[in-house]
Parts: sequence; structure tokens; C-alpha cells
Amino acid sequence: MFEAGLLNLVLFLPVLGIALLLMLPAGQDELVRRATLGTMTLQFLATTLLYIRFDPAVAGLQFETRLPWIASWGVHYQIGLDGYNILLVMLTAFLGPLVTAGAFSAIQKDVKLFYAMVFAIQFAMMGTFLAQDLFLFYVFWEAMLIPMFLMIGIWGGQRRIYATIKFFLYTAFGSILMLAALIYLVWSLQSSTGVLSFAFADLVKTQLPLDVQTWLLAAFALSFAIKVPMAPLHTWLPDAHVEAPTAGSVILAGVLLKMGTYGFMKLGFPLFPDATALFTPFLMTLAVVSIVYGACLALVQDDIKKIIAYSSISHLGYVMLGLLSLEITGIQGAVIQMVSHGLVAAGLFLMVGMIYERCHTRELSAYGGLAKLLPVYSVFFMVLTLASVGLPTTSGFTGEFLVLLGAFKAAWPVYAAGQGAWPLVLAVVAVSGVVLGALYMLRFALHFLYGPVKVPPAGDGQHGHVLTDLDGREKAILAALVVAVFALGLFPDEPMRKTEGAAKAYQQLVATPRAPVMAGGIR
Amino acid sequence: MNTPGFFIAMLPEHLVLLGMVLLIVLDVAGRGRRAALPLALACTGAASLVALVLAVQGYSAAPFAGHFSVDPATLLAKALVLALALPVLLMSRGDFGPAADARETGLGSEFALLLLSSLYGACLMQSADSFLTLFLGLEILSLPVYTLVLLAYRRPESAEAALKYLVLGGTASATFLMGVSLIYGATGSMAITAFVQALGSGSTMAQAATVLVVVSFFLKAAVVPFHGWAPDAYEAATVPVTGFMAVIVKAAALLAVVRLFGSATLATPMLELVAVLPLLSIVWGNLAAMKQESLRRMLAYSSIAHAGYLFFALLGAPEGRLQAVTFYLLAYGVLNLLAFAALPPADDDLQRDRLDHLKGLFHRSPYAALMIGIAMLSLAGIPPFPGFVAKFLIFKNVFAAGHATWAVLGLVGSYLGIYFYLRVVQFMFMSPDAAALPTSGESTIARRWAGVASGACLAATLAVAVFPGWVLARL
Repeated sequence: MFEAGLLNLVLFLPVLGIALLLMLPAGQDELVRRATLGTMTLQFLATTLLYIRFDPAVAGLQFETRLPWIASWGVHYQIGLDGYNILLVMLTAFLGPLVTAGAFSAIQKDVKLFYAMVFAIQFAMMGTFLAQDLFLFYVFWEAMLIPMFLMIGIWGGQRRIYATIKFFLYTAFGSILMLAALIYLVWSLQSSTGVLSFAFADLVKTQLPLDVQTWLLAAFALSFAIKVPMAPLHTWLPDAHVEAPTAGSVILAGVLLKMGTYGFMKLGFPLFPDATALFTPFLMTLAVVSIVYGACLALVQDDIKKIIAYSSISHLGYVMLGLLSLEITGIQGAVIQMVSHGLVAAGLFLMVGMIYERCHTRELSAYGGLAKLLPVYSVFFMVLTLASVGLPTTSGFTGEFLVLLGAFKAAWPVYAAGQGAWPLVLAVVAVSGVVLGALYMLRFALHFLYGPVKVPPAGDGQHGHVLTDLDGREKAILAALVVAVFALGLFPDEPMRKTEGAAKAYQQLVATPRAPVMAGGIR
Repeated sequence: MNTPGFFIAMLPEHLVLLGMVLLIVLDVAGRGRRAALPLALACTGAASLVALVLAVQGYSAAPFAGHFSVDPATLLAKALVLALALPVLLMSRGDFGPAADARETGLGSEFALLLLSSLYGACLMQSADSFLTLFLGLEILSLPVYTLVLLAYRRPESAEAALKYLVLGGTASATFLMGVSLIYGATGSMAITAFVQALGSGSTMAQAATVLVVVSFFLKAAVVPFHGWAPDAYEAATVPVTGFMAVIVKAAALLAVVRLFGSATLATPMLELVAVLPLLSIVWGNLAAMKQESLRRMLAYSSIAHAGYLFFALLGAPEGRLQAVTFYLLAYGVLNLLAFAALPPADDDLQRDRLDHLKGLFHRSPYAALMIGIAMLSLAGIPPFPGFVAKFLIFKNVFAAGHATWAVLGLVGSYLGIYFYLRVVQFMFMSPDAAALPTSGESTIARRWAGVASGACLAATLAVAVFPGWVLARL
């Protein structure tokens, strides 16, 4: 009971935060920043407590709240923690204070609105992960677009309007088809069983013929794949990332992209297992294409934000590969990879933001030899780079290794049985992504940190100004991230125990065919 | 006619009528200008309250059997229409209140009088049992609005637009009468139930009659291709009048249509008629809105698209139609009025609603920008705002009735509308600030009244957003 209340508090703290900001007098920017940081830290602490109390032995939802919301439609306000969302909720809560603190110096315009938007995004993201009712999920999923739209559009760079409208329209298109599919799904559940419910637990029992499943999965998958993003639906991401303020990029890369893969894991695949089996070769190919294509594009960028943006596409390709392998190892790896990418990409974007505040350019060729000028910065940067590459002992290694292991485990029997070499080919190509990853990240670090010293002119056009190394606030933010990266790399057992049950449940749901034997539609 | 029934059943109408009579008397006494708006507000509010109370008590009566009857559903519809008129009255003080004197408009209580009269028609329509009453209501609703468009007009185009509206409104009435006469010919009845009868009959005359009647409502509600008058009239009218047309006139027409269709399930060719034209309306309204430079004109196209969604509700099962339409009108009405009430005042009416002048509004007037922003995003159907639940309900019903293809097409059409709503938000929050417009004549009282209007609309918006289930259970 106490925990359920606490979970509601975790979800609604950002709303209280907005109320708090509204009550603060105008012009008190410093107070606004502190209040936001305080609220976010409180949210993180509460989430940590829930994380500790979360019992991996219990199957299904924990700390659940279920109240009727729109009773006549069977819509409930239902939230809870389970193995699917526990790590992502933790990640979201962990990044909250870091995002807030990371924007202290960068955001000087409309500070109050900015932090209100950070709260709104945090609320919507938490809600998306916690929701156990499809209607509620959709509301949060869509609501998240509004504050993100404003954040990129108000505090973004030169082409921010273009980038933010593209971001909104892209993602909204996927959502509108998902909306159609979810209405259809719920009403076919009602017409076949008489149960009117949006609860995930009820919807996974829907038995739909294969053709209907195919259409519905196509609609859900489009929405999720845009959010992940998977090639070829990724073109909004580089624009959004490059134009967004640092905090926006961190939220995008850290949490928002995981909403797509989480959607696949929680909803897309388990709801339509038969169609998933049909789509798997196709989606797997797209996942591997994303891995390699994202990596290749990252290799040739001169904009440092774009390098990380494209690397995100590549890293999330692994998550998809792991989810589609249907091997426990692969699924577990996918979940770890989600969290790991959340930490590493968030860290890298924060670091890019820090250097941008000092030099006001994101051109890679403008920089060089920073290791000599900014030793502390460079150490942190190198650690995060290596984590992104997937060096053992960092979180990146755990995730990618498990995913690839799972992919091979799944592909080998198929090959050995003479049923086709395609999965194996895909797994082999996916490995090349690791090599490419090392290549682009090391190229980046090499140009950035080593070589002849090059410092871009400061914002006022002055050459030869002295760069200051990280201050205490920045060090603290990055130290927290680096600790988390190593913790996840060295002790992946503990978080994996929490998600194991969900991984098994997911595997069970997706691997079991559910279409009725008798063909014939519901119409 | 039984007297107590006549008195209580028509009490909302009587209150509106009382307001009109008092206004005329006061005008003669020379006190009309000052008292007009408060009096109209009081009467409308009381009428709405009475209708609501009667509806909650489950009152039903038929004081003029065969012509006029009330039941909880119609009373609720009246309460909604009347309640939506309150913000319109509140926000009109700047344009039509005593302060409007400064512009030497020479206005007395005309605005309030015409508005009340139009409301009377709107109420009458909801209770109509015969085509005669329906026509009477329709005309009483429309005629004052033609005048309202022209009232206190500030530029010659207003006259052109009002004339256009008048001519097309007249065409709508003629079409309606033609349809009714054909229905009478086919069924020998003037009761509105004859409409359902005609729908079900296979005769060409009856079918043609129903098509004509529906087309006349398409004209009233501005559905493509009968929408031509709306952008001009909306732009020409003063802001509160635009709000009145967009919300109350549309609400009255749509609620009457739902009453007309009763328990009829749609079949070919009526099914195609109320699917294809509204779909076109959604698509065209949303596309055309993208290019508009005037807020009122843009919202006119938006209202054309919303008329499309509303008519889509007819595709759903008969039991759910009234609830879906009422809920949609509640959300849509409150949001439109929120945007209109929050629009900052300015001396130059033409400049006031240029979208260019909304640029940077957040820095000049954060409250107004947030209100208009909420209204826009909600009209676009983005959750968590009420526009989403309203749209969801309509499309859910269309799906449930088995018209999945139409529903998907409608949803995709609604996607087209997102861009132009976002554009307004973009202007207000992301564009470099435009210069504030001069506002000399606006009194602080007028601003305060408009503030009350937008505050009430905001409260309703939030209530519907947070507790949609509670509201739906009462419709």
C-alpha cells in the first residue's frame, strides 16, 4: 500500500513541481533551478526506494494502482512496476536531476517555462513507462510530444522550427495509425469475448486472425519504429538532436528513444505474436541495417551532435535485434542495452553541451588536442567513449555482448537445421557494427582530444581565450553517470535479476502462436 | 396545451424571452446600453441552469403535442448551448459593451438582443417534434446572426460577407423547405419522425427529400462543398460573433441533426453522403487552414474540419450519437471560446487577429499565449487535452459500428490538421516578438470580463481533461 502510494507520488511529483514553479515569484531564476533540482532529486530517491523494494520473484505487476477513469469505456488509471519497466523507470528518474543540473548555465531565457517543460516531459515519460492501460499509455505517449516540441522550438539552434515541426509531425503520424489500431484492437476484444478493457493484461489474451494481426502490428510497429528510430524512419532524429538544446538531446537520447523499443517489447510483439513471427525476418533486417547504416553515417559526420545522434540509431538497432532473437540472453541484453545507451548517450550529449557552452561550435574540425587543455573533461569523455564502444567492464559491453550472443544462439539452430542462413548472416553483420562503432567513436575522440591543439574562437570571436575545465557541478553530473556506467558493466547481475521474469514472460508471449486455428475475421 | 407544463417545460425559453422583452423596455427607457450585457448574462445563465436542473431531475413533457416536447436529453442540449453562450457574452464587453461608445458605434442593446433571440431559436430547435417548429427554430437562430456579422462592422468586406452568408443561409432554408415538402409528399406527415421513415423507404422521392434536408444542415454547419460562406463570415465578424457562429450555431445545428436522425441506422446512399462529404470537409478544412494568415479565417477552416468530425458521429450506432456529439460540442465549444476569449484586445480589429501579431505573444502576455496554445493543441486532438477524448469517442463509435475504413480515413484526415495548430503555437512561443498593438479604447472592466470568460473555459477544459469519465457518465 505504501509502495503503491509512493509510485503515484513518483509519477505526479513533476506535476507538483510545475505547480511549485507557478507559485514562485517572477524573475527568481536561481530559485526555479533549485526547486526543480530538489523535486527531481526527490523523485529519484523515491524511485530508488521502490527499486530496492521491487521483488524479482513476484510475477506480474507490483505496487499497482487501478482506478476507473472512463468507466463506460473500460478505461482505468492503472500503473505499476514490473520487470519490463523497472529499469527504464529507474533510468528516467536517474536522468531527471542530471538533465536539470546540466541546463543550469545553458538556459538563461524563459527559465521558468523551460523547467516546467522538463517537468512535463518527465511526467509524460514516467507515465508512458508506468501505464498498464493502453488508453493511459497512449495519452502519455502523445502528450510527451507537446513539451518536447516546445523545448526544441524555443531553446533550440538555428533550424529549430524546422526540426521541431518535423519531429512532431513524424511521430504524430505513427501515433495516429496506432490510435486507429488500438481502437480496433479493443473493440475486437470486446466483440469476441465481451470484455471491454484497455488493460494490457486483458489485451494480450485477444485472439486475432493473422491478417488482422498483421495490419494492427504494422500500425503499432510504424509508430514504435519511428520513435526508436529504425532506418529508414530515422530522418527526424538527427535534425531534432542537432537543433535541440542540450537538455532536449539528453532526454531524447536518454529516455525518449527507449519508448519505441519499450513499446515493441511491452505491446507490439506480445499483442500480435503470429504477425511478429511473420515480420521477424523483415524487422531483424531493418535492425541490422540500422546498426550498420547508423554507424556508417556516424563515421562521416563533422557535427559532433550528429555523430552521437547516428550512433544512437546504431545502438538501438542492437536493442531491436535482441528483442527479436527471442532468446533470454538476447532479451536481457536488449534491456541492459537500453539502459546503457540511455546513460552513455545522455553523458555524451551533456559533454557536447558543456564544450558548446564554452566554444559555441559543434564542428569537429574546429577542435583538437583538448586533452592538453581540459584534462578532467577529457578523462570523462574518454570513459564515455569507451563505454559507447563497448569496452568490457562498461555497461555498453554487457548490452551488446548479450544481444549478439542471443542473436547467434537463435540463428545457429536455424542454420544447423538447414532452414536458411539469413539470421546467421544478420548476426555476423551485426558484429561488424561493433567494429564500426569503435571506428567512429575513436575517430571522434582522436580528433577531439588529441592531435595539435585547436581551439575555436569564443562566441565573441576572440581567439586564444583560455578554456576553463569542468566546474564542480559538471564534474558531479558526469561522475554520477560514469559510476552508473561502471556499475551496470561490472554488476549487471542485480538489474538483470529484476528483469528476468519479464524477459521470460515476453519470450513466452511472443513465441506462442495465438491466432485462432479457424481462419475468419471478426467482421 | 397544459399550462403548468407549458410554463415549466419552456422555462429556459421563457427566461431568454424575458431577457429580450426587458432589454427592449430598457432601451426605450434609455438605459439599454449599460444594462444589456449583465441582463443577457443573467437570463442566459438562469436559463441554462434551469435546463440543467430539469434535465438532472429527469423532467419530460410535451406542452404542444406533436410540435414541442422536452426530455432530459433535449434539456441537456439546451443547457449546453446556453452555457456556451455565457463566455461569448462575457468576452463581448470590449466590442459591444458601454465602452464601445468610444468608437461612436451608436450601439444600444442590439448585440445582446440579437444574441438572445438567436439563442431562443437554438433552444426551440432542440425540442422540435415537427418540421414546422424545427424550421421556426432554424430561422430564429439564423436571422439574428446575419445581422450580428454586420453589427459594429469596421470594414466594407463585412458587408459583403454578411450578404454572402445571408444568401447562402437563405439557400439552406429553401433547400430545407424543399426537402420537408418532399417528405410530406412521401409520408404525409410533418412530424420529424417522418424523416426516419423517409430514410427507410425505398422511394426516390423520399430519398431525395432526406438528402435535401441533410444538405441544408451541411450548409448551416459549413461542410464541404457547402462551406464557402464560413471563412468570409467568420473573418468579417467581430471576435465574439465569430465565436458565437463557430460554437453555438454549429452546436444547435448538429444537435438538431442528431435529433432528426433519431434511432435510424444509416444505409446507402445516406451512409455515403454523411461519410464522404464530412471526410472531404476534414481533409479540405485542414489543408486550407494551413495557408491562412488570419486567426479567425484559420479557425473557420478548422471549424469546417470539425463539422466533418461531428457528422462522422452519425456513422456510429444510434444510441451513442447524442453522447458523442454533445461531448464533442462541449470540448470543441469550450476550446474555441477559450482561444477567442484569450485573444488580446486591440484597436484595429483587422490587425488583431493577424497571425503575425501573435508572434512572440508569450513574452507580451504569457497567460493569453498559454490559453491559446492549450486551445490549439486540444483542437488538434493531442492528448491529454479534451479534444482528444472527444475525437476518440466519435471514432470509437464509428469503428464499433463496423465502418473501420471510414474511421481510419477520418483519423488520417485529422492528422493533416496538426500542422496549422502547431503553427500558431510556434508563432506565439518561438518567433521573435512582434510589436504590441495599440489598445486605447479597451477598459479594464472589459478585460476583466474576458478574463472571467477564458478562466471559465479553462476550468471547463481542465475538468473535462482530468475527469472525462465523470462528464461522459452524465451525458
